[in-house]
Amino acid sequence: MSFTEKMLCSKSHEYLLKNDDDTYTIGLTDYAVEQLGDIVFLELPEVDAEFSKGDTFATIESVKAASEIYMPISGKVIDVNSVLVDEPEILNEDVYEKGWLIKVEATGDASEQDDLLEYEDYKEELE
Amino acid sequence: MTKETFLHEKHVQLGAKMVDFAGWHMPVQYTSIIEEHNTVRNAVGLFDVSHMGEVFVSGKDSLDFLQSVVPQDISKLAYEKAVYCQLPKQDGGLIDDLIIYKLGINYYLVICNASRIDEDLNWLVRNSKGYEVKIDNQSHNYSLLAVQGPKADELLRKMGLDTQQESFTIKPAKLCNRKLLVSRTGYTGEDGYEILVENKFSEELWDKVLEYGKEFGIKPIGLGARDTLRLEAALHLYGNDLDENTTPVEAGLSWSIPKDKVADYNGKSVIMDQLKNGVQKKLIGFKMLDRNIARHGYDVYYNGEKVGHVTSGCVSPTLGENIGLAYVKNIKEICTGAHIQVMIREKLHDAEVVKRPFVAKRNKVKI
Repeated sequence: MSFTEKMLCSKSHEYLLKNDDDTYTIGLTDYAVEQLGDIVFLELPEVDAEFSKGDTFATIESVKAASEIYMPISGKVIDVNSVLVDEPEILNEDVYEKGWLIKVEATGDASEQDDLLEYEDYKEELE
Repeated sequence: MTKETFLHEKHVQLGAKMVDFAGWHMPVQYTSIIEEHNTVRNAVGLFDVSHMGEVFVSGKDSLDFLQSVVPQDISKLAYEKAVYCQLPKQDGGLIDDLIIYKLGINYYLVICNASRIDEDLNWLVRNSKGYEVKIDNQSHNYSLLAVQGPKADELLRKMGLDTQQESFTIKPAKLCNRKLLVSRTGYTGEDGYEILVENKFSEELWDKVLEYGKEFGIKPIGLGARDTLRLEAALHLYGNDLDENTTPVEAGLSWSIPKDKVADYNGKSVIMDQLKNGVQKKLIGFKMLDRNIARHGYDVYYNGEKVGHVTSGCVSPTLGENIGLAYVKNIKEICTGAHIQVMIREKLHDAEVVKRPFVAKRNKVKI
């Protein structure tokens, strides 16, 4: 299965990907990055930070503006892609493989994912 | 309703990302703001700036009338010359900033900001009482194309431009076998031209500039790069760095105001007093000392005290630093080299006051 087939998307343009070890990877959708344009700044949380679904966990800035990135589920941060802080332009080049933002352990229950969409449905909603 | 320029279809065809700006549906970028920015600094770019206002002023009192509304001395403006002006109220606050061109005896062109056309017209008409003058808004009949960058002159020569022009001049010129008004001005800090063209010929001119420009590496440039280019050159943007509560002296535009202009004008007493006795707030340029970007409206601190706010801020693609303009309390300690702080997402981030412009301007061309 391809990356986009495995992931779920939020209406605020984050993706959620379940890993083999039951942790989750969170990042931005290709649509989000395309809309932002050249990305020049990224602020990521610390490992061990805990967030509820819907909380702002990161800030991203394109040349034009600053935007917030929200948690698609509740979780505790176990890893951050700190390479992106120095090279945020990676997000423009490879949003899925190299451009992931954080990995978390879910702290809420599975029903939190009910409002997330499959990539195909997410794309349809955008149109 | 959102307005569209006559080149709207071209932008859509080129795949531009369109946004609303000052009531117009305009291209913010075609491919990438940074790439477009660098194209203008290194080669040449084409901008659709047809949203800007073109107002012709004529009639036997046009000189006296213009003298009464701007601090600049229009009596010294030579034929086919342009001058950067402001439109102050009685209290010195600005209605707009503009460029005035002398096209003939008692015949002037005023180019103003898209966002301010209505306010400017209203202001000019109200102030024209008692003057025999015609104020003719032709904004809807003209498109404005800007060709900017170190290769702009060479490109227009290739297209048959038959004039030799210094910067800040306007001439009727032949270009692609049409007579057009060509001005050697711009809003990027680079050499370049702005071409006034009747709407019905604008698409043809747009296509030709892109076609002839290919060998020079031309790209169409959106409003996003227009903003980063003008900010590197520390050119003010009305609505960000200028408004009705800011005088030209506070805005760091004293260089543009003659001290010896005899004629009276709106705001003269306030402006002259500020030139002599100083101002409470001043415009500064700064660069961030970390990776954070200061944006319009963020608070500025000095020694723990809030002293002002950011009016423009962005990444500078040329410098690889984050730059900005801010209004701060006019104290002598806040000078070039001083450290200030900008409040970004509830944290203070260090910045250093630097000289303006951030990137040296290369737009002065003498013949």
